[in-house]
Amino acid sequence: MRLPESQVAVLEAASATEERTIEHVSEETGLKPETVTGAAFDLEDAGLVSVSTTETVSYTVTGEGETYADAGLPEVRLYRAAVDAGADDAPVPMGAVIGAADLDGQAVDIALANYARKEYGEVASGEISADPDVDPAADPEATTLDALLAGGESGDVEAQDGDGDREVLDQLVRRGLVERTERAVRSVTLTDAGVTALMEGVDVAETIDRLTPELLASGEWQDVAFTPYNVEADAPERRGGKVHILRQTAERVKDTLVGMGFREMDGPHADAEFWINDCLFMPQDHPARTHWDQFALDVPPMESIPDDLVERVRSAHLDGVGEDGQGYHSPWTEEVAREVDLRGHTTSLSMRYLSGHEIGELEPPERFFSVEKVYRNDTLDPTHLLEFFQIEGWVMAEDLSVRDLMGTFEEFYRQFGITDLEFKPHYNPYTEPSFELFGTHPETGELIEIGNSGMFREEVLRPLGVECDVMAWGLALERLLMLMYGFDDIRDVHGTLCDLDLLRSVEVLH
Amino acid sequence: MPVVDVDPDELRRLTGHEEKADDELIDDLFALGLEFEGETEDGLLQLEFGPDRLDRLSVEGVARSLRYQYGDDRGVYVPNTNDPDWTIEVEESVPAERPYVTGAVIRGVDLDEDALDSLIQLQEKLHATMGRKRKKGAIGIHDLTMLKGDVLEAGADGNSITYRGVDPAGDRFVPLDSDREMTPADVLDDHPTGETYAPIVSEYERYPAIYDEIGLFSFPPVINGRRTEVSTDSRNLFVELTGTDQWTIDRMCNVICYALDARGATVEAVEVAYRDGTLRRPDFEVETKTVAHERIEGMLGVELDVAETVDLFERSGLDAVADEDGDVTYEVSIPPYRTDVLHPLDLVDDVGRAYGFNDLDPRYPDVATVGSRHDRSKLEAAARTSLVGLGFEDLLNFHMISEVENYDRMGLDRPAATVQGDDALVGVESPVTITEPYSEDYTMLRTWALPSLLMVLENNTHRAYPQDLAEIGLAAGADDDEPTGVAERRTVAAVLARHDATYEDAKSRLAAICRDFDVELETPATEHPTFIDGRAATVVIDGASVGVIGEVHPRVLVEHDLELPVAAFEFDLDALA
Repeated sequence: MRLPESQVAVLEAASATEERTIEHVSEETGLKPETVTGAAFDLEDAGLVSVSTTETVSYTVTGEGETYADAGLPEVRLYRAAVDAGADDAPVPMGAVIGAADLDGQAVDIALANYARKEYGEVASGEISADPDVDPAADPEATTLDALLAGGESGDVEAQDGDGDREVLDQLVRRGLVERTERAVRSVTLTDAGVTALMEGVDVAETIDRLTPELLASGEWQDVAFTPYNVEADAPERRGGKVHILRQTAERVKDTLVGMGFREMDGPHADAEFWINDCLFMPQDHPARTHWDQFALDVPPMESIPDDLVERVRSAHLDGVGEDGQGYHSPWTEEVAREVDLRGHTTSLSMRYLSGHEIGELEPPERFFSVEKVYRNDTLDPTHLLEFFQIEGWVMAEDLSVRDLMGTFEEFYRQFGITDLEFKPHYNPYTEPSFELFGTHPETGELIEIGNSGMFREEVLRPLGVECDVMAWGLALERLLMLMYGFDDIRDVHGTLCDLDLLRSVEVLH
Repeated sequence: MPVVDVDPDELRRLTGHEEKADDELIDDLFALGLEFEGETEDGLLQLEFGPDRLDRLSVEGVARSLRYQYGDDRGVYVPNTNDPDWTIEVEESVPAERPYVTGAVIRGVDLDEDALDSLIQLQEKLHATMGRKRKKGAIGIHDLTMLKGDVLEAGADGNSITYRGVDPAGDRFVPLDSDREMTPADVLDDHPTGETYAPIVSEYERYPAIYDEIGLFSFPPVINGRRTEVSTDSRNLFVELTGTDQWTIDRMCNVICYALDARGATVEAVEVAYRDGTLRRPDFEVETKTVAHERIEGMLGVELDVAETVDLFERSGLDAVADEDGDVTYEVSIPPYRTDVLHPLDLVDDVGRAYGFNDLDPRYPDVATVGSRHDRSKLEAAARTSLVGLGFEDLLNFHMISEVENYDRMGLDRPAATVQGDDALVGVESPVTITEPYSEDYTMLRTWALPSLLMVLENNTHRAYPQDLAEIGLAAGADDDEPTGVAERRTVAAVLARHDATYEDAKSRLAAICRDFDVELETPATEHPTFIDGRAATVVIDGASVGVIGEVHPRVLVEHDLELPVAAFEFDLDALA
C-alpha cells in the first residue's frame, strides 16, 4: 500500500491498544497538528484508524486571580483584619478594619460582597462582626486558586470536571479570577485494518506539486498523490487592460442616446467663431467670447464659410429676425466671425448640421448628439479642466413645446438613475426659453444641477434655414462622472496628471 | 454667473412683505430664476442672477419683480418724469470712439447707508455686464448741489454741463480717493482706478471729460471728481452715462432711474444736445411687440384662455391688449427697464415663467428617429477594444501641450513653420499654437500622443509595473489646405513600460491589432531621434506610412525620470479602416 508521507507517519505513530492524542502524535512525528488531524481523517476515511473526540475543560488563573492568590482574597483579608480588631467578640466599626485589611476602591465592595456570601460574619450599620468558627485558611476558593497555580508551569492547569469542586471553580470564573476554556481533543487508534496494513508494509507515496503533460501521457498520474494547496491564500495580483472610466461613461451615454433615436455628429475641434458663437446669436462683444474664456489659435481666418449664410447671420445680429425682431446693439464684423478658436462647446457641430452644410439639408424629425471634447480657458483646479467632454443633444420637429423638452430629458436622466427633475428658468443668448436642469442624486438624495437646456431662438434657426422647432441640451460628461463616482479631483482622472492607481481601482461601469 | 448681494430686510421692506422669513424669500426667488448662493458675513443674501434681467441687479429691482410675482403689482409702470432743467451739451471735441452720452436728474432721494451701498453695487454690476467693463457704457453719479451749471445762452432757461474731449494733460481735477489735483493722464498712470481702466482710453487722442461752470468734474469711464462725490447727505443727484452705443447707455440709465424711483425719488428729464439734434432723456418710451396666442400655447404645450394669458402678462410687469379678430394676438407693452426683449418669443418666456414651468407635465415627443454612431466613432471603439484585449490600460490625456513636452523632451528639434504631417517624422510637424496662452504648460495642440503617454509614465513612477498604457485621441498640425488651417486626426499610441520591455513586445501587439482589422503590417527600419538607433521602424499599414515603432531612447527615458525600458508605437487610426 502506498500512502502520502504524512499519513504513513500518523499510522506508524498510532497504537491499536491505546488512544493517542493528536498533540502526542504531532510531537512524535514532528508534523504540525493540522497536518496530523488532516491525515488522521483521511486514514479514518480509508478505515485504517478511528478518530475519537473528547471534550476537555481547562482552567487558567487570570492576572487578577494571581494577585489574590498572592495577597489573599479580599474577603479573607477582611476577616483576618476583623478578627484582629476583635470583631469575633463584638461588632467593630468598619472603617478601621478596612484600612487594616489594606483594601480600597473596588476591592472594598468585592470584599464586603463575598464576606456576606460566605457568611464570614455580618455587616450592618457601618459595623462588622466576624464568625469565630470560620477557618480562612480553609477557604475553598483560595485553596483551589493555589492548587491551580501550583499545578502548571505557567499557571495553566488542565483539570477535568471531576477535579476540585465544580461549584467553587464556577465561582472563581464568575469573579473573573479564573478562565475556563473548553477544547476538543482528538485521538487516534489503529483499527484492525490499520494493523494489518502496517504488517503488510506501507510505503510513502510520491506527492507531487504540478500535474504535467508527461504524467498524463505516461499514466503515472495514477500512482501519485497531489500536495494539497492552501486554497484560501491570496494569489498574485493580476491586472488586465481596461477602458478609461470616462470613456466607459461616454460609451454609456452614447448607447443611451442611440437607443433614444439620436444620431452622432462629427466635426472639427478647431473652428471659426462663426460656427462656434455667431450662428448661436452670441453678440460679438459678449464676455464669453474674449481671450479670457476661449483659446484663439494662431492660424489664418477661415475662408470657406458660405457667403449667404454669413450675410443672414450678420443681419440677424444687427436687425433681428421677423417683424418685431431687433438685433443686438453690438458691432458685428466678418473679421471676428472668421477667426479660428478651439470650440468652447460642441454646439458648433449642431450649427453645422442644422445649416445643411455638413451632411445635407435636414428635414424634421431629427435627433442628433455628440459626446466630445471642448476647450475653455479656465483655471485648472479640482473641479475644472481646460478641456473636457460635453454631452450635447438636440431634437428637431415640427412643433415642439417645453413639455417635449422636459419629457426627453426625464427619459435620458432616468437611465442614469437620476429622477425627479426640476426645471429652473434660466438665460442663454441662444435659447428661449432656457432651463437649468436639477435632479435628485441617486445616492445622496441632494438636488444637484445636471444640465442646461432650451429651445433655440429664431435668430439662430432662421438664418440657418430651419423653419421648425429645435430643442437642445448639454451637460459636462465629467459632471455626470463626478456625480456617479464622487471623485475628489478630476485631474486624477482626466489628463496627463492622472493617477494610474485610481484608474486601475475604479469599479467597472455597468 | 454674476452674484448680487441683497439685504433681506430691505427686500422685505421694499416688497411690503415684512412677514416673510428668509427661507420663504429664497424659495420665491428661486421661482423667479434667482439662485441663492450663500450669505455674506453681514447677513446679505447672495443671489446668482441671469444676465437677461439687469433690472434685478439691485434690491429695488428684485423687490419689484417679487411684487409682480406676488400679484401686488400688475402691468407696466413708468415713473413720472418732470420737465428738464439741465442740458448735456455735446461738443465736437468729444472722442470719436466714445461719442454717446445720456443722463437724468434725480430729486428728493433719501440715501441711507443701505441705499447708497445698493446704488454703488448696481452701478458696479451694470458696468460689469451691459457696460462691458465700462467700455460700452460707464455711469457717473454726482451730487447735484455741487454742480454749477453754465447758464445757457440768453433767453434760454436752465443749466448745462458739457461733454467734451480734452488733451490728456490739458486740465486738472481732484479725483475720488485722492487729495491732490491730477491731470487725466496722471490718473491713468498713478491712480489705482485709473490703472485698471486705462486701456479703454489710453489710445485716444483726446480723453472724455465732463465739465460744469467750475471745471472738470468727471473723467468717464475712469473716475469722478471728489467735488461731486455722493454721500448719504445727498438729496439730489445727476446721473450721467457715456459709451459706445446710445441704446445701451439709455437702458443702463433706465435701470438706475427705476431703482431710485422705487426709493421714493423723483425723476427729472435732461436734454442731450448733440450737434445734429437734441434727445430728451431718460428714454422711458414703452415699446410694443405682437405675440400670437397660438405661439404661446405651442411653446408651453398647454391650452390657455385669453383672460388667463393677459393676467400672466400683467404679472410679468407687461401690459397686453388682446385682438380677438381672427387668430388671437396680443399687443404687449414692454417697460423701458427691459434690455432682453429682442423678439416676441422673449415675451412668451415671461408668460411661461409666470405660469410656472415646473407645473407643466412633461411628455415624450411623439416623433420617431433612428439612432446611430458615426463611422469613426465605431472604428475608435473597436480599436480600443483591441488594445484593451491586449492588456493595455486606456488613457484619456489632454490635447493641449507645450513645445517643451511635445518636442524637446522627446529629443525632437522644433520644426520649421511649413512642415506638414505627411512628409515628416511622426511628431515633427508644424504645430497649431494658442494665441497668448496663460499657462506655459498649454501652448499648442499636440502633434502626436506619445509625449502624453510618457508624461503619464513620469507622473506614475510610484505605481506598480508593468505599465502598458495606450490612448486613442486627437493630434493636430498646422495645414493651410484645411478650411480651418488645422489638420485634425485620430492617433493610436501605446507604451510598454516594464523591466524587460523590448521592440518585439511592441511589435507583437501592433501585429495583433493589425490582424484584428485585417490590414497588412510592415516595419521598414527608420531613424527617429526619440528611439534607439537600429531599433526604430516606420509603421506601414497596407502600403502607407502611418506611424513609428521602437524602443525609446535612454536620453528620453532619463529625461522623464524613468528607470526602465519603454517600447512604444504610434500610428494613424484611419489606417485600420
